Amino acid sequence: MDIDELKDAWNNDDQNKKDLHLPLNDVIKGKTSSVTAKLRRNMKIELIATLVSYVILLAALFGWHHSTYLFNMLCMLLLIMIVLNAYYFFRFYLFYKSIGHFDLSVKNSIRKITYELELNTEIYKAYNFCIAPLAVIIALGLIFDKPISLYIQHTLINNSPIPFKYWIIAFANLLITFIIVYVCLNWQVRSMYGKHLTELKKVMNDLESED
Amino acid sequence: MNNKETRFLELIEQNKGILFKICRIYQDDPADRDDLTQEMILQLWQVFDSFRGESKISSWMYRVALNTAITFFKKQKRRPDNEQLPENFEQLQDRHDESGTEQRLALFHQALKHLNKVEKALIFLYMENQSSEEIAASLGITAINVRVRLNRTKNKLKELIKNTDHGY
Repeated sequence: MDIDELKDAWNNDDQNKKDLHLPLNDVIKGKTSSVTAKLRRNMKIELIATLVSYVILLAALFGWHHSTYLFNMLCMLLLIMIVLNAYYFFRFYLFYKSIGHFDLSVKNSIRKITYELELNTEIYKAYNFCIAPLAVIIALGLIFDKPISLYIQHTLINNSPIPFKYWIIAFANLLITFIIVYVCLNWQVRSMYGKHLTELKKVMNDLESED
Repeated sequence: MNNKETRFLELIEQNKGILFKICRIYQDDPADRDDLTQEMILQLWQVFDSFRGESKISSWMYRVALNTAITFFKKQKRRPDNEQLPENFEQLQDRHDESGTEQRLALFHQALKHLNKVEKALIFLYMENQSSEEIAASLGITAINVRVRLNRTKNKLKELIKNTDHGY
């Protein structure tokens, strides 16, 4: 079969003249059912969930009575968490904006999106690694505020070093948190982007190989 | 609806064949094709302002639509491409009775499913009567590379069509 002979049939195929049964006005407003649109929606949900969790944390921090030491410490940790979160969401906002810019050549577009996707998954991992221990410390501080406050006061008044067993407990808690975060993060990133990233890299390698 | 939206929707209506053809090449499932069409229209709308008329509108559309199709996140729950059944034999036989060209085109579409994403883009642009230089600009590779790849892909397609045809 000569492929060139099919060009006329290709261009006059009736299947290309059917009606577009799509709500075009909704489509151009971004209300699509594609997975990319779903990812954007998930990102919005994650932002809302983070804001709600901050409201709960602030209510717990300001609503209950805490010792001055613990209150100051938790406020500082919370501030660090807010800054990290703001940076992460700003990065992802830029990323989801940039995946709409597809007017470059295929090679440049794929290179850009592969780079952005890889960079942002690494940022996502790093962000979660930073946030997880802070979140654990803040949660423990809020739940066990009385014994922790007493312990801090006692340690500061007596100017005594922290006993070894408390170091072990704190270290074990953080280590377990890191392990859980590492396993969950890798699983989540691989299931969300892994297959797609591998496919994009395959296309990129194909385009970069010269004959 | 404002003037810009009206102009854009007219443009999509006039060139919808491009979108249908790309969807047919890159997705087998009708629901995935609908999703991809929506995504391509959305991406075209988002970069509509960047089109300044320096190139042909079709070239601009090919570029955006192909980029969208290649990077399209397919829904996981649906049946993967390689498990899709080919169009059934009776349908093809009926078409054969009406016109040999239709059957050959159907076989051609079946064979296209076995190409990788870059090869699909190459063949699509070739079938759209794009020159080697235009294909090179769309894909971001050299014109020489385009010609080499085209020859190789056309031969691969011929083999695939021959095998599919004998299979029936």
